[in-house]
Amino acid sequence: MSAMPESAVSQAADQTRLAFGLAVGELAERDDSVVAISADSVDLIGLRGLVEKHPERVVEAGIAEQNAMGIASGLATTGMRPYLCGYAPFITARSMEQLRNDVAYANQRVVIGAAASGVSLGVSGGTHHALEDLALMRALPNMTAIVPADAYQAWHAVWATREIDGPVYIRLGGRVAEPPVTARDAAFRVGRADCLKDGDDVAIIACGCMVVEALAAAEALAGQGVAARVLNMHTIKPLDGDAVLAAAAETRGIVSAEEHRVTGGLGGAVAELLARENPTRMRMVGMPDEFAIVGPTDKVREGYGLSKANIVKNCLELLG
Amino acid sequence: MPSNSEAVLKRLANEALRVRRNVWRALHAAGAGHVGGSTSAADLLAALYFHYLNLRPEQPDWPDRDRFVLSKGHANAALVAVLAQAGFFPDSHLDEFYGYRTLMGMHPDIKLGGVEMSTGGLGHGLSVGVGMALGGRLQKRGFRTVVMLGDGELQEGSNWEAAMSAAHLKLADLTAIVDYNKIQQSGHVQDVLGLEPLADKWRAFGWSVRELDGHDMAQITAALDALPFAPDRPSLMIAHTVKGKGVSFAEDTHLWHQNTVGDEIYRKALDELGEPL
Ligand SMILES: [Mg+2]
Repeated sequence: MSAMPESAVSQAADQTRLAFGLAVGELAERDDSVVAISADSVDLIGLRGLVEKHPERVVEAGIAEQNAMGIASGLATTGMRPYLCGYAPFITARSMEQLRNDVAYANQRVVIGAAASGVSLGVSGGTHHALEDLALMRALPNMTAIVPADAYQAWHAVWATREIDGPVYIRLGGRVAEPPVTARDAAFRVGRADCLKDGDDVAIIACGCMVVEALAAAEALAGQGVAARVLNMHTIKPLDGDAVLAAAAETRGIVSAEEHRVTGGLGGAVAELLARENPTRMRMVGMPDEFAIVGPTDKVREGYGLSKANIVKNCLELLG
Repeated sequence: MPSNSEAVLKRLANEALRVRRNVWRALHAAGAGHVGGSTSAADLLAALYFHYLNLRPEQPDWPDRDRFVLSKGHANAALVAVLAQAGFFPDSHLDEFYGYRTLMGMHPDIKLGGVEMSTGGLGHGLSVGVGMALGGRLQKRGFRTVVMLGDGELQEGSNWEAAMSAAHLKLADLTAIVDYNKIQQSGHVQDVLGLEPLADKWRAFGWSVRELDGHDMAQITAALDALPFAPDRPSLMIAHTVKGKGVSFAEDTHLWHQNTVGDEIYRKALDELGEPL
């Protein structure tokens, strides 16, 4: 494990996408097999430093995600460790067949850094929102899917990929601030949720930008005498089933919270597990089955209830 | 480069004949399959595996080996045939083509020693080949990468992304071969979605192009021996071929892109092909 160094904190403390690129640059210094692939996203993902220092270690594929994905697979077959960087809406949906066949089916060690996920590009509209990417990744065998809650976790996640023998999808934010919610040196284990707050009335299972809202909701609930557990489910696949089942057994219900459609994402993953193992009352906070409206990110999130207030409301409804 | 001797060409032609017989054998065992595109590629594959590619069949993951990707993965019968002939696995595997729990499916499976990428979805192999060539360059391994493309496959736009990037990255160690048999699943390529002027398109994309008869072993080996065709550019061989080559009733018809192969048909095919040396 390696915590984000001070030099990176000053550049990327509230941006998971930049933390990802800086971490790849740091890994490249230590490991000759590390190579970044950019789909015209060098600055988006914090690779400029690596480009300037070791230009041969960044392959620019241009605005051509299908080719970028295939290149990443081919590189991986030769023993290189490719980190493929792009926009979440394009590096998933546009190149989905390459991702499925060349990366997941061929089980290559390709790490995908998917920036600008969710509605972080709010004003760009539905073409630029990524609200089904986790559903796509969850449906792929061999895939590991990680949603860092903040820049510190994005750094840890990149480091953790060294031990993962298969493809990894790391979902990253856009240009809106992502305030830290974890300690810089907190342990990070792929597939193991962080319990950020204990409680036995209700459990909030959140990922990504909704973790900060979940913590705020838990604080508000505490003021009303409700003890909410908060799990930061930073790994969507493989899901930490033990943490989910413990929450189901030890609280009176579960509220999931994610910046993704509730079909196929974190809420879906939790619900599928509970339906099999321990049917539990549940509410899902997330995007409905529709394309999101256009608008500034904070307003779009608020409009769809991706907020502290709506998590509180769902928890209280659940507890009846 | 001196031209290859009659003896060399005769040996390679014999391997190509064995590939064709093994294709029919595998597809007869399977009951059906992609006869046309497997047999059109037989001479090219024989030349690659017995004249050009630097491989160690006993060590299929040897890091410095040359890479070959069959992007037109539906011709897998020909790939497994030539891999068996080259010694990657016993040729009895060919009798298990399409078999339950085998690695002998319709399309190449990377888990089978000698297969460099699982292919079958069209328009994937050239991008993967670009990545392999880059990996060889970054690690200074000096291996060469060859990708075989179908003609119908070139209708997939992803090929042209890959073509653009291979030239931009100056991948001289990358060669693509188009098995230009002029026919795809539902008819003639020129009627479905024409490719011409094909050589001009690739040249415009920055590749060095040579056209040849894909069934003439002297031309095939001369082209392979001349690789790369130009410094700092990827090379393209446009190999003019006949779909279903070697068996009269299967030649030059989309009906034999994929078809059933029963006992009677199989016997006729082997009779027409004749015995190898
Ligand atoms: Mg064809």
